[in-house]
Amino acid sequence: MTHQEFLEQVDAYALGALEPAEARALEAHLAAEAPHPQCEAALARAREAVAALASDLTPVAPPPRVWDAVARSIGAGEPGPVRVVPLRRAPAWAYAMAAAAVLALVVGGISVRESSRSAARASASAAECRRELAEAHLDLLRKEDALQLLVEPGTQLVSLRPTPQAQGPLARGSGVVIFNPRGRALFLGKSFAAQETQDYELWLLRGDKAIAAGLLPPGADGRVFAEVPPGLLTGGRPGGFAVSIEKKGGTDVPTTVIFAGTVSPP
Amino acid sequence: MSPGAEGKALEGVRRGDQRALEELYRVHGPRIHALLLRMLRETADAEEVLQETFIDAWKRAAEYAPSRGSIEAWLITIARSRAIDRIRHKGARLRLVRQTEQLAPAEPAHPDPPDVHAQSRLRRALGALPAEQRRALELAYWEGLSQSEISEHTGDPLGTVKTRVRLGLQRLAELLAG
Repeated sequence: MTHQEFLEQVDAYALGALEPAEARALEAHLAAEAPHPQCEAALARAREAVAALASDLTPVAPPPRVWDAVARSIGAGEPGPVRVVPLRRAPAWAYAMAAAAVLALVVGGISVRESSRSAARASASAAECRRELAEAHLDLLRKEDALQLLVEPGTQLVSLRPTPQAQGPLARGSGVVIFNPRGRALFLGKSFAAQETQDYELWLLRGDKAIAAGLLPPGADGRVFAEVPPGLLTGGRPGGFAVSIEKKGGTDVPTTVIFAGTVSPP
Repeated sequence: MSPGAEGKALEGVRRGDQRALEELYRVHGPRIHALLLRMLRETADAEEVLQETFIDAWKRAAEYAPSRGSIEAWLITIARSRAIDRIRHKGARLRLVRQTEQLAPAEPAHPDPPDVHAQSRLRRALGALPAEQRRALELAYWEGLSQSEISEHTGDPLGTVKTRVRLGLQRLAELLAG
């Protein structure tokens, strides 16, 4: 890289806007060649401009746990490997339990506080807020779970497409299965019309068999989230997944399949 | 902290003095934390990257060269680099999610944190830039987009984006220095 090429790219480099290979080329220029005052001055100017943008931000004191984690990581100056201490919360299942506990508390809280009407109204209102928060938290946990499965090696997306039997409001829905051959499959659906007298049912297809994988109750927003029971995934790679609409409580054999999709071969 | 005191603190860090790093953290941590909150929009991510930044500074103190910028600029470079890595990783994940749920185009997970960006000076400087240069800088600075990604995002040729980034930051440097 010439000095001129460096100068042309140094601003993007300071901004972090280069592709990794381009950034490495600039770093190699800085490291390998004799320090060039113009290049170094340009880098300093660009870095100061980037820093100056941040200088207009109002500082936000980090909580003490951040420095505590830094101090633990560097081990008070002791030699040895330095590791980042995880600040993130407990595993997802722990959060699911915590969120479930919050829900239980909320529901319990409403019944306990019924002795005074005004107090009950106030607490019910607060409880409603807490319930909504807990539900939002659960929703986030589900999404986080789906995201983690998405980035697992071997994961594939199985789009479930409407069949000719999907008519009217049913045709507006859509679904996808996030399938990992190591034994996990999550179903995500949206725009599922609420059904008063029927249930949506998920099916795992293997050979010429359709294996019932659970009901799919849509949320108030029409979204559906369900996990295929892991036990159903141990009998070999499924051929696909399907959703049917059935009488309340589901059936053993699908009658009206409205979405279906096939799993790609490995 | 004066530049001289900062230099001494960095010397201390190079010698393995944890209190010297703590001093740099006390001075620069809150502003870098605000920057990370603004970029990452999630408290846990911002705290983790802040932690990583100062651990990185501890490990790489010997590499710091005053000729290439101030200690604050060096720390911010480390912090932004790590934040951008995280944004890009999340971006890849979000693209996968969009394939599954056909979500709306990526939006911030949260609104901007309150009281985090009193940007009057910045706004004035940015306001003096041509709109297309300002847009390119904002996409790179806050969203962590590379020039190629900005080109893809805006539909402008890559060469044009590169010119806008270069001229925009140079002009911004002049305006902020003035």
